[in-house]
Amino acid sequence: MVDLDYLKMSRPRKLLHDLAGFFARLPGRLGNGLKGLALAVGRCLKGLGLSIADLFTTFRDGDWKTRLSYLVMGSGSMARGQWGRGLLFFLFQTVFNLYMVNFGMAYLGKLNTLGVVETYKEGRKTVYGDNSFLILLYGVLTLFFIAAFIYTWRVNIRQNKVSQQILASGGKLKGTKDNLQSLVDSQFHKTLLALPTLGVFVFTILPIFFMILVAFTNFDYNHQPPAKLFTWVGFENFRTLLSSGSASYGDTFRQVLFWTLVWAFFATFLNYFLGMFVAIMINKKGIRLKKMWRTILVMTIAIPQFVSLLYVSKMFAADGLINTYLMKWHWIAQPIPFWTDPGWARFTIILINIWIGIPYLMLIATGILMNIPADLYESARIDGANALQMYGKITLPYMLFVTGPYLLTSFTGNINNFNVIFLLSQGKPMGLAGNAGHTDLLITWLYRMTVTDTNYKIAAVIGIMVFVVLAVINLVVYNLIPSVKNEEDFQ
Amino acid sequence: MKKLLTLVLAVALALTLSCPAFAEGYSGDLKIWVADAAVDFTKAQVDAFKAAYPEYAGMNVSVEAVGEGDAANKVITDVAAAADIFGFAQDQLARMVAAGALIDVEPGNAEIVKAENDAGSVAAVTLGDTMYAYPMTSDNGYFMYYDKSVVTDPTDLDKVLADCEAAGKSFYMEINSGWYQTAFFFGAGCTLTYDSDNEGNLTNCNVDYASDNGLKALKSMIKVSQSPAFVNGSSISNATNVGAIVDGTWDSDAAKELFGDNYAAAKLPTVDGYQLSGFGGFKMLGVKPQTDEDKLAACDALAAFLTSGEVQQARYEALGWGPSNLEAQQSDAVKADVALSALGEQLAFTVPQGQYPGDYWSLATGLGDRIIAKEFDSADDAALMDVLTEFQNACISYVG
Amino acid sequence: MAERKIPEVDIIVDEKAGVIKEVGPQRKLRSKKGHERRTNGAIYTVLTVMSIVWLVPFVFLVLQSFRSYKLEKGGMVDYLLPKTFSLDNYAFLFEGSNFFHWCGRAILVGLACAAATVALVCLAGKLFDRQDRGARPARVGILGACLAAGYALLVALTAALQGFAPAERPVAVLVCLMLFLAIGAIIARVYLKQDSKLLRSIPGYVVEDRHEGAKKLAAMFAEFALLAIILQYILIPMTKSQYLLWYTNTLTIALFTAVLQTAIVLSVSYALSRLRFRGRKLIMNAVLVLGLFPGFLTMITLYFLLKQMGLTQSGAVPGLILIYCASSGMGYYISKGFFDTIPKSLDESARIDGATRFQVFMKIIMPLAKPIVIYTILMAFMAPWGDYVFASYVAFGDQQGYNVAVGLYNWVNTNDFQNYFTRFCAGGVLVALPITALFLALQKYYVEGVTGGAVKG
Repeated sequence: MVDLDYLKMSRPRKLLHDLAGFFARLPGRLGNGLKGLALAVGRCLKGLGLSIADLFTTFRDGDWKTRLSYLVMGSGSMARGQWGRGLLFFLFQTVFNLYMVNFGMAYLGKLNTLGVVETYKEGRKTVYGDNSFLILLYGVLTLFFIAAFIYTWRVNIRQNKVSQQILASGGKLKGTKDNLQSLVDSQFHKTLLALPTLGVFVFTILPIFFMILVAFTNFDYNHQPPAKLFTWVGFENFRTLLSSGSASYGDTFRQVLFWTLVWAFFATFLNYFLGMFVAIMINKKGIRLKKMWRTILVMTIAIPQFVSLLYVSKMFAADGLINTYLMKWHWIAQPIPFWTDPGWARFTIILINIWIGIPYLMLIATGILMNIPADLYESARIDGANALQMYGKITLPYMLFVTGPYLLTSFTGNINNFNVIFLLSQGKPMGLAGNAGHTDLLITWLYRMTVTDTNYKIAAVIGIMVFVVLAVINLVVYNLIPSVKNEEDFQ
Repeated sequence: MKKLLTLVLAVALALTLSCPAFAEGYSGDLKIWVADAAVDFTKAQVDAFKAAYPEYAGMNVSVEAVGEGDAANKVITDVAAAADIFGFAQDQLARMVAAGALIDVEPGNAEIVKAENDAGSVAAVTLGDTMYAYPMTSDNGYFMYYDKSVVTDPTDLDKVLADCEAAGKSFYMEINSGWYQTAFFFGAGCTLTYDSDNEGNLTNCNVDYASDNGLKALKSMIKVSQSPAFVNGSSISNATNVGAIVDGTWDSDAAKELFGDNYAAAKLPTVDGYQLSGFGGFKMLGVKPQTDEDKLAACDALAAFLTSGEVQQARYEALGWGPSNLEAQQSDAVKADVALSALGEQLAFTVPQGQYPGDYWSLATGLGDRIIAKEFDSADDAALMDVLTEFQNACISYVG
Repeated sequence: MAERKIPEVDIIVDEKAGVIKEVGPQRKLRSKKGHERRTNGAIYTVLTVMSIVWLVPFVFLVLQSFRSYKLEKGGMVDYLLPKTFSLDNYAFLFEGSNFFHWCGRAILVGLACAAATVALVCLAGKLFDRQDRGARPARVGILGACLAAGYALLVALTAALQGFAPAERPVAVLVCLMLFLAIGAIIARVYLKQDSKLLRSIPGYVVEDRHEGAKKLAAMFAEFALLAIILQYILIPMTKSQYLLWYTNTLTIALFTAVLQTAIVLSVSYALSRLRFRGRKLIMNAVLVLGLFPGFLTMITLYFLLKQMGLTQSGAVPGLILIYCASSGMGYYISKGFFDTIPKSLDESARIDGATRFQVFMKIIMPLAKPIVIYTILMAFMAPWGDYVFASYVAFGDQQGYNVAVGLYNWVNTNDFQNYFTRFCAGGVLVALPITALFLALQKYYVEGVTGGAVKG
């Protein structure tokens, strides 16, 4: 297809064309991606090989100080007078050794079985056996620690090598004071990132890694530590979640996923367009009290959701204010089943989410609308365009162009929008296998699996599936965005 | 600070342990979870316990409010952090046993419990042939509160509905709850029970919902849901404009207040020629497994005390919770209670609630919701039978 | 359409006597004006309807919080307006002592004090800031008025203290003092628009200037912190009110989270925006990937990690602070976007002058980044108020560790608590008030944050 033909196409057809193009190119891209991956793996292996080779050459060429550092971390630095740095290395190694001997090794050894000693009773007293949960948790922690140790050990050796070279070429080593000084200057990023990175490692990466492993165990209500053991089961949980049939959650998973996507679509785009509309209204020339309108709408952001949403959910209950007043006025004979009928419940949730969501979009749109060059409208007006045309030709494309990435994050956020569902309907009405309800998103289902059903293995699998879904959506959109941008390039 | 405190406590502990008077007792910490309403009552009874058993006088007992519905989830999440003694409803028993969160009742106490409490409550705390908890109340069933000035004949559901319609009042029953729904199914002659082994695992499902009786029950529910007076709900405090409501003793105060002089209660009515049935339910105290024998003995003694006849009677007087203890049930005060008498009448028609998988409750809610949403209003028998068959198969699929 | 015709007819009637030629353009202009008016009218209608819909639930919430659970019903009823307005629900929140009684008294006295101080301050302000030094009699008069106001204040305070037991007096003074600061500042700010040195010295009083936001924030923070300290160390030991305990827990969490989280987020976003180092891209990609995992997946792991540190149940408050802050570095997008817009040349010239990177960060970038700092603090402060899920999972079984969301959620959603609906409303109102006040005061920065964040992704 020639570029000119493309430009002549109408907007929806362009999008269609882009989509088709995307999927047509998908195999190629996947191929490229795989190739890239293979190359990356190759690079990694090569790097690893070089690194190991470097270890040997460093040892071969090293003096006794360097060589001693292979065994006692930091000894080389200390021997060369870099006491602060050397002591830190040495301290780290000591802590690591103590940890491994007193703690780590015991858990690491049980990681393959997750414990075999059963809990038993001695008279009336209970004697607890192995705790699979703690074995897995500390096992993973120990693995992380070992990785950190290897990395630090490698750094220690590399520094020896560098120091040795500097000294050999007649240079002078940095003192502790200089090193500290560099932490607020050339190495400032280390100071800034050390604590946040540690936090993310311990409280995000470690738990995620742990839960991914749980997806391959039978950790649930029947295998609940400390009284019971759990163990590895391979891919069985994935089969349970994805395959259909009794005792499987395949149908439920598909239904919940479908509603999750429908919900995310409405929650994102409905709010987007309505919010933009409200922003345009408020910002129109000649409308007074702009600040007041904005402040009133913003109230739903200001008031904590657990107050506002819980209250609203009670307002819509069968015996809530809305139903009782409608019945009092004889508009309806029976309460409207806002929360008990699947269709109504979904509709009500989307409706109430508008109440919560419009103000955000209104604020964002306000900011962006003010940035649209006024002369664009001026020239359009001279050309005789009406308000609707100006909106279609200027406002909307500009907004879409600028907020493209936001739409993606917002869509992702809505897929994981726990609060609205949980505070409004708790996923009810129930009725799907696997203790899921008709308004459950994957994330609220996951929550119920964790908290109410203590079915951690399935919860872990659902979590992984959420990741997969989001990753796919993100990849597709990221690949589409460049073309979207080209299209919206209005001049 | 905390460490210092622990140290002080440890020293205190060592001192008290070395003291001969407490040699067989226990004087460490002990935690109890009960429903919010019962916190003050339980604290008072714990003091009474300490007074009666001096060997436990040094115990440091803390009582926290954790709802009976919540207790099981929280105990299972982390047994170590859970209370040593906790109140819960009997539908959670199997789950807790399966998770290893309950220890069996001390054999001596088990004999006493068996002798002193009504058969239904004893059955409810027993799994296989092991008793796992101490029955505390036997009032977790439902019956009907009504307004005397509105309902003229509380024995027939059609008349109840007609009276409510005529007076512009509502009839409340939570038919989208697996708990209240059984009033129809069990009443029409169906069964739905699960067998479980000593470990708390479900082994078998006895169900015959997909039968003529089941059809009869479903049709009654559809009929009731079509009445303009019908409202799905079971909480008086959340209800408005009540003519009659199917509810339990926990709402008796609210009912008295709501109906005033017209307050009345009766067993559930008949519908389409059969008497409505339902679950009989019980609350119980459980003890979690302990690694310390002395502490376990203390827990056993305290749990037995808190569920003894006198304390059950006192609990009735303080909170209005109907006792499971036979002697307490016979006391004048209990007999004079309108709500508890209605429950007593209804008890003859109820089925003690055994163990049900968590999925059953959501399944039943789904069925009830579909009835309320009027999906079946024009369905023929064959279609309804399909619904029941689907329901029954789902119930069976939860085993194993 | 019918509406549209009327002005046209008018115009023609008007023009009959005049020049016909001018009808054309004038008509067009007028009809355009009419069109404009109609559009605006429609917009006003829509906005009014929306405003009503937006505010109605909150009005209902407040109204129902005044329905007594003793005199009427604490559950859901079929009418909106309480039959009698009562403060029973609020009193219940502070149950356990006659706290509410003397709190009410303290508020009244506080109001009186505040009024007196405002008068005092304003007069004094006039006195000292006066440009013309000549008018001696006026100054004397003003001085007299000041003395009178001071005397009124003294009388009010003494009268107030008479009502309290000796042990309660320090608390009463503190409460009065706080109210005096807060109310005095607000009144002075809103009605007097004075800008004297004295006035400025009152914490909470803010002068309109370019540091306005920062000052507002600092003042409010100081007041919140003061409130937390008073609650924690004075009021809670005196009462056995659970609500106060939950409230204080939440306030403490929010204050600490706001400070720590802001420090972390700013560090990360600054490093990723302004510094170039190995692994920078890797970190950004890793955060992107990690962000795709749902947050509640790891709840049980986090619980047991915290438990090993003794930070669950009664230790839930520090535990929650740790959880909220530990991974907060991953939310760096918005502030990084802001840092990206600050010109690089600023750093470079400072570096040439010999400033270290740290100095550049603190002395050059931070002052410029005030809006985003305020935005980050605001967000970090507001989030803990609404967290039910983690808070209930970490604190279960021990009231000591509950936050307001957990406590109030239990009131409406656990069977034992069916009668607590109106009490939930009252509790909700008291939570919403300070948060809403803070948010509305700093709205401008919020808008800047979300707009910037949305545009830069």
